[in-house]
Amino acid sequence: MAKKYACYLCKGCGIGEALDFDNLQEVASESGMGEAKAHEALCSPEGLALIKADVDGGANALLIGACSARVKTDEFTFGKEVLVERASLREQTVYCTEAGEEAAADRQMLAADYLRISATKLQKMELPVPFQLEQPAEKAILVVGGGVAGLNAALAAAKAGAKVYLVEKEDALGGFLGKMAKLGPQSPPYQELQDTGLEDLVGQVQGNGNIEVFIGNTVAKTEGAPGNFTVSLSGGQSLRAGAVIQATGWTPYPPEKLADELAYGSSPNIITNVQMEERAKAGDLGGLNAVAFIQCAGSRDANHLPYCSAVCCLVSLKQAMYVKQANPEAAVYVIYKDIRTPGQSEEVYRQAQREGVIFIRRGEEYPKISDHGGKFTVETADVTLNDTVAIEELDLVVLATGMKPNNPKVVEPPLVALGMDQEEAKRLTAEAKAQSDDWSVLNLAYRQGKNLPTLKYAYPDSHFICFPYETRRTGIYAAGTVRRPMRVTQAIEDATGAALKAIQATTAAAAGFAVHPRSGDESFPEFFMQRCTQCKRCTEECPFGAINEDEKANPLPNPTRCRRCGVCMGACPERIISFKNYSVDMIGAMIKSIEVPEEDEEKPRVIVLACENDALPAIDMAAKAGAKWSPFIRFLPLRCLGSVNLVWIADALSSGIDGILLFGCKRGDDYQCHFIKGSELANVRMSKISETLDRLVLESDRVRVEEIGFGEVDKIPGIIAEFMETIESVGPNPYKGF
Amino acid sequence: MGQAILVVGGGMSGVSAALEAAEAGYNVVLVEKNPYLGGRVAQLHQYFPKLCPPYCGLEINFKRIKNNPRIQVLTMAEVTGIEGAPGAYKVAVKQAPRYVNDKCTACGLCGQAVEATVSNPFNYGLDQIKAAYLPHEMAFPYRFVIDPSIAGGPEGEKAKAACPYGAVDLEDQGAELTVEAGAVIWAAGWTPYDASKVEYYNFGASPNLITNVQMERLAAKGGPTSGKIQRPGDGKEPKKVAFIQCAGSRDVNHLPFCSTICCLASLKQATYVRAQLPEAEVTIYFIDIRAMDRNEDFYTKVKADEKVKFVKSKIGLIQPNEAGNLVLEGENTASGERFKAEHDLVVLATGMQPNTALNKIPAEVAYDEYGFVQAAEGIIGAGTVRRPSEVHVSVQDGTAAALKAIQLVAGR
Amino acid sequence: MASKAYDKSFREEVYENVDSGEEIKLCMQCGVCGITCPLRDEMTYGPRQIWSLIRAGKREEVMNCSDIMLCTSCYACKVRCPRGVKVIDVMHGLARYALRQGIVPRKETSKFGKVFWDCIAKTGRIDETDVPMRYTMTAGPIHGIFNALEMMDIGRALLSHKRMKFKVAPGVPPAKKIKGIRGLKKMLKKAAAMSPGKES
Repeated sequence: MAKKYACYLCKGCGIGEALDFDNLQEVASESGMGEAKAHEALCSPEGLALIKADVDGGANALLIGACSARVKTDEFTFGKEVLVERASLREQTVYCTEAGEEAAADRQMLAADYLRISATKLQKMELPVPFQLEQPAEKAILVVGGGVAGLNAALAAAKAGAKVYLVEKEDALGGFLGKMAKLGPQSPPYQELQDTGLEDLVGQVQGNGNIEVFIGNTVAKTEGAPGNFTVSLSGGQSLRAGAVIQATGWTPYPPEKLADELAYGSSPNIITNVQMEERAKAGDLGGLNAVAFIQCAGSRDANHLPYCSAVCCLVSLKQAMYVKQANPEAAVYVIYKDIRTPGQSEEVYRQAQREGVIFIRRGEEYPKISDHGGKFTVETADVTLNDTVAIEELDLVVLATGMKPNNPKVVEPPLVALGMDQEEAKRLTAEAKAQSDDWSVLNLAYRQGKNLPTLKYAYPDSHFICFPYETRRTGIYAAGTVRRPMRVTQAIEDATGAALKAIQATTAAAAGFAVHPRSGDESFPEFFMQRCTQCKRCTEECPFGAINEDEKANPLPNPTRCRRCGVCMGACPERIISFKNYSVDMIGAMIKSIEVPEEDEEKPRVIVLACENDALPAIDMAAKAGAKWSPFIRFLPLRCLGSVNLVWIADALSSGIDGILLFGCKRGDDYQCHFIKGSELANVRMSKISETLDRLVLESDRVRVEEIGFGEVDKIPGIIAEFMETIESVGPNPYKGF
Repeated sequence: MGQAILVVGGGMSGVSAALEAAEAGYNVVLVEKNPYLGGRVAQLHQYFPKLCPPYCGLEINFKRIKNNPRIQVLTMAEVTGIEGAPGAYKVAVKQAPRYVNDKCTACGLCGQAVEATVSNPFNYGLDQIKAAYLPHEMAFPYRFVIDPSIAGGPEGEKAKAACPYGAVDLEDQGAELTVEAGAVIWAAGWTPYDASKVEYYNFGASPNLITNVQMERLAAKGGPTSGKIQRPGDGKEPKKVAFIQCAGSRDVNHLPFCSTICCLASLKQATYVRAQLPEAEVTIYFIDIRAMDRNEDFYTKVKADEKVKFVKSKIGLIQPNEAGNLVLEGENTASGERFKAEHDLVVLATGMQPNTALNKIPAEVAYDEYGFVQAAEGIIGAGTVRRPSEVHVSVQDGTAAALKAIQLVAGR
Repeated sequence: MASKAYDKSFREEVYENVDSGEEIKLCMQCGVCGITCPLRDEMTYGPRQIWSLIRAGKREEVMNCSDIMLCTSCYACKVRCPRGVKVIDVMHGLARYALRQGIVPRKETSKFGKVFWDCIAKTGRIDETDVPMRYTMTAGPIHGIFNALEMMDIGRALLSHKRMKFKVAPGVPPAKKIKGIRGLKKMLKKAAAMSPGKES
């Protein structure tokens, strides 16, 4: 596009008093922004009218020096065709530096640098052109798994107008719901057992013209990307889908593993809750006079499933009610650690008690089960009786076993392997592979592996608190018990939500924009392939497995899989990966646009490469709260710390910058990085550069990575001050002035 | 694209519903009663089990809202009437006066000029705030509010005089508008159960007897103590902290249901205390610890801290003593012993009352006996008005509600 | 493991025969009743533990426990029980059931109860002087007089505050009967016939 630049400077909120605007106008002009217009309050209707008039007159690349880009976003947006770059003269200049005449010169230089940085950015960026698939994007949704979550996902998507393919490995739809005799109480007054409603649900699915069902099928291969998946089924069919919902449910924890603790396998009358459900469904509950349910049979046990399977308490309550309803005289015991009946289901607990079910709280130890000629005795601690008791003459012992997700576990090699020698990296990779499951559900034809990456316990999610649907494979969503242990009612909601996420993914793929967290972003990485050395770093480091490899071993980007974090851009040693509005060259030029004073002026320069999702808002927040820090600091916002290319460090140091701070999100097991590994990757990459720095006779202390997010707002001034001291002690960058 | 979807409530489930619908291409009007979005989670210090700041996720969501022209946000607004049927509703919305228009730059001069203070609702009344205020440091929209108590008087005039941008509008009458929507998502959230109703806990008798939501503010950097956990009574660091589980929940005389999150909230708050005050001891008094699914790992982690004790007992009496401490009485149901225990800070794990139990939806909607909304076409409950739930379930529920709404408006 | 076997017969006996006995099914063992009771320090178990013992089938422990006769009907536990268990009703029910079985877990309560009851049944009202005098004398003539001497200060105070009338001996002068005493007697007879476990 032909850019017509315009620059506006706001004098409001104390900026006018703190800065010399003549100088700023000069800087803007020198930076190619033309004659900057100053206004008392740029966000006021009059100020906006001033800008609007220029936009109407053709200005399409605007530099606005005012408050931080996080605020007044609506006001300073002038349509998709107008590039806007904001220089933070308020939060990152006036608010965070000392006021008064003495500090005026440094403050002025800071403001001027921000104008230069923003002007450079504006000059280097282009309007994104949305990516378009070769064929029109497919909007059909593939649902894998025909249990309660799969059926509901299919139906929910179909009712919203989407075409749906539903694949089920068994010869009938229903999954575990089909094995259930009844559901526990789900609706007011939460006292009555309910029908599963499966027949009706299956009827609705089969009767829906938008849904095509493939029973007795599994997914042999999933190729492609959102908007353009090609899915081969075991039955030989090939389907084109825009997005995938994996609703493959759960597997009971193998009861054989409880043979030692709970005598499973020693008698046909020591059964699991799944077997109990089958007996109930078969109407085989006659002649039961005494039954004990043993909760947490394997769950909440470091030797088996450390987590709580979430449903077993309610399942046992329901099954206890089966027994009581078949024979009200029966003695029914539930031996538990904690009864977990959340929400309204507390009433189910009360109802089971009303029906005469006896609850015995045990300790951590499993009860001891012994067989006395076909009748069992269960010996257990009875905590509230403060005694050890025996329950005798039991006809049946039901072990409340838990649920494991029907999803293969993926263990990734630690990122530190990237920085290691080949042998060590290979060893770590092999180790991780050995710990991973080798089977697959989706058989993804992705270079990074055929399965969805998993967190602990093989659950395929990522930010499971704020963004529970977010897997690490774009356009593929997990729903129901494969994602987290949950009840039937919750699985229905979960499936409904996943259906929407799948619909969104197809919408985004068709329009060529990103899904969460950069929803709506129309930029995407472009590769200058002629210079590619096939080093494979981009393919390996992309947190979302977006980049495959073609037959010649060149990277094969799949832009609709991409989340636009720029990790590939940071990974590429040849710097061939760029976005229209975000590139190695652009950030490098921004760094170089900073004016570095001569050594004898004793004004060091430090840049902070800061994650724009967490670190940057935290910086704004600290500034707004009145924190002050060195005026020698310049913040450069990044999409993700993972996009930091090492060349920027070289750019900075060669232009005389004295120190470089990297502010990124928390990494590790409880990572907060919205791009999963960005912060960690930056850390690994920086650990690798100390060697290079030493070679250049530069102290590695000049570069530091810090975890900064909303939790660290109050620490920011201290971290900066401490780093400035370090820089002072190592002395000025010897490359200054070269 | 079709008719708009109205979302009532700008907390976690409402924001999720609004965003997910808008990002699928539908127009959304989001109505929020507070002057800011974020709801109850905005007032939390950290989330369990990751102990991460809620603003990490909220910031992303607010950015999504800022970048999405399909979402219209109305703050300080409440729905007063709903007419029509699924697919075609006319919803009356009443917006209270903010007395600050969109010229506000959040520069803060009005707050400096005004002397009057009001009880700070964001900090659950633990401190006072200037009557011209930014609701909190991360408030979205980032705009001041003038308390109605000063709007008509000289203090209001001071605020007006101080504003260089003409943003203070003391004549603001609020607004009444009608929104046409094909579906309504009701995500009005919850209110902490009024602890004073559990009369044997003597809430109010001592400043050192607080609720779990107040504890969040005590630990939060933006809270009344700048994040220092102190006894509100004397500002001293507590040495023996107690958490009282089921303070109203699982009780047929109060909230007969389990509020689901309080066990984990207390476990989390125990980590706040332990991280900040290494010498402090924590005791959690409980009936059952309900740390469902992978949250069990968090329980395991907290249990491993030897300075966190768990006592199986529903506390039967709390009384302040002369030392300003609180004496708890209970029966340890594991040992059978009746005990008295003195603590210097006591946190009541009060539960979640659905806001629909306190304010019904102005339309024909079914509730259960606790006031939770039942599934229906057209007016769709989401989040904690349907059941007590933690954050991820609210997001899930909001997303599901968005699809149910889309099913109604798609193609219309 | 030296275990004591659970026995379901006693809890079923309680559900069937004890007034409000089925209420205890709802107990979730939280312990609020036990700490709420003003007589908690006098109790060996308290209601919660008694329910727990019933559940386990510990008939002897429960039926011979004086706790079940200590309840003063202050209602605190019943009001506070988060499961809405009618704790008082069950406690009294257990006490009555024990007495019907000929078990007297707490003799003093039983004796006082009998004197109290006899007075009401005979006159239709409580004679504030007569009942304590008769109760004191249930200890036998010698112990009775000693007990009475011990209580002398309280007696004087009650007299001086006109909370009690002077009597020479139990029944002298005799207490006045209420007007409809015959009707009351009929009602009591009918009520006795309706109460559970009428074998006693």
